[in-house]
Amino acid sequence: MADLLTPEQMRALAEGESLEAFVEQLADTPYGEVPLATDGDTSVALEKVFYQKFIERMTGIVDLAPTKVGDFLLSYYYLRFEVINLKRIIRGKYSGIPTSQIVESLIPILPYKVESYEEIIAEETFQDAIRRLKGTPYESLISSLELSEKYDALWPVEIALNYLSAREIFKSLESLPKRDRGLVRRIVQAEADVENFLVAAKQRSSRESAHSPEEMFPATFGIGLDVLGEVVAADDLRAVIQGLNPPYNEILAPLYEGDVALIRSRLRQHIYNIAKRGRAEDDFGFNVVMAYLVFSEIEKNDLVGIAWGKTQGIAAEDILKYLAIPFFI
Amino acid sequence: MSATTGVRPTKGYLMEMKRRIGFIERGTEFLKLKRDHLAKELTTSIDILKGRRSRLLEELRVAYRAVTAAYISLGPIEVQSQAKSIKSRLELEVLPRSVMGVRYPYIKVEKEPQITGELDITLSEAAEKVLSVLDDILQLAEYEARAERIADELGKTNRKVNALENTIIPSYMKVIKFIQDKLDEESLEELVRMKLIGGALARRRE
Repeated sequence: MADLLTPEQMRALAEGESLEAFVEQLADTPYGEVPLATDGDTSVALEKVFYQKFIERMTGIVDLAPTKVGDFLLSYYYLRFEVINLKRIIRGKYSGIPTSQIVESLIPILPYKVESYEEIIAEETFQDAIRRLKGTPYESLISSLELSEKYDALWPVEIALNYLSAREIFKSLESLPKRDRGLVRRIVQAEADVENFLVAAKQRSSRESAHSPEEMFPATFGIGLDVLGEVVAADDLRAVIQGLNPPYNEILAPLYEGDVALIRSRLRQHIYNIAKRGRAEDDFGFNVVMAYLVFSEIEKNDLVGIAWGKTQGIAAEDILKYLAIPFFI
Repeated sequence: MSATTGVRPTKGYLMEMKRRIGFIERGTEFLKLKRDHLAKELTTSIDILKGRRSRLLEELRVAYRAVTAAYISLGPIEVQSQAKSIKSRLELEVLPRSVMGVRYPYIKVEKEPQITGELDITLSEAAEKVLSVLDDILQLAEYEARAERIADELGKTNRKVNALENTIIPSYMKVIKFIQDKLDEESLEELVRMKLIGGALARRRE
């Protein structure tokens, strides 16, 4: 835990005067000297550096952890990052952007459940790229192609990927002792519930072409299909959100105030709290390792946000509003 | 060089000069009318620009805040990846329009991007806000170009009117006066000559 940034350090980074000041301050932390890219997009280069640092931390923990814990963590993080990479590849193929730009957008990890990203990227169309996943755990995505072609949209594939990712994580949880499963389950469920709610809220704008809740939400947890159906049909979300149980009513409140991005920072704060409580319950076991990685990932997200804000010259208070860690000062 | 250098003081030339100055004076009147109309158009455009600009700046601030929030929340790589997944791009056509012969660009939106399907809700909200100010931005750009070109043409027209009123017309008047004076002088000389000849002939008859 010692190499994680404290909420005070994170706040100080966000309050730095410039990008140069941010990099200078970062040099005094475990991140050390971070090179500033002279060509291309600096914030993108810094995002990659922060991802790299997180992956190093994660693999370092995996190497030290007992086999079962290590295997779970590897599958949990690698699967999530691979899902992000697959989404980016499929999006890139769908819109026909050059291969080099797709490769540039990928998280720098080795392929996990697929043999190679390059082979998928090399396919002619996004349909071919998805069909290329035959024989991998992502094979079920091929069936989402029908819906995708029906609506001429990518959301069926992305939803199928989210579902597949949650299902695989729950499956890999089985390898952990029962007492260790609660923390991950709570995190995954909170993320899925909020994401489902946001997808339902987005559907309100295209209600005429709204799709059945079963199609849209293959996996629901704390926020059920009936509530999600209400969201799609609601003119005003205030009543629906206020009717939710804590913490969802608080996390989702910015939605009716029109600040959707704030929901994600509140969700991260909530996950940070889940991990903190989980660590307090078990100070020596799996929860400590998991909490470290959760904190580390939230730290990465906050640093990415600060780096972008600094490259754009955004005021500190506008950056701080969307960060999770400084909230815990 | 004087305005009267090389001027032929003949009646034909005087008539030609009078025809020309009549034409120039009518042209000047037309130019004055154009100048007044352009000034009116410019005032209207500036009034519209003043109102729209402040409203647009506020709308842009809101849109930019939403885009900033999306970038901080999702990270630049994810935002760029999602933004690139939009197949239907904004398509514009720039067409010419004219007011009192002054051509200015008119921007026609051929196709708006379809942002609802593919973007995450954070980004989709930001994109909707940007899209909602797009029409205003285009109209403002159109009015700015219109005002700029009208102002430019107004300046040119004003200079032409001033040149005609202060230089060209006075110089023509001067030439006309010069010819008229010359012709008057010649006709006086002719009269004197006729009288002298008339006197001489009368004396010879006596």
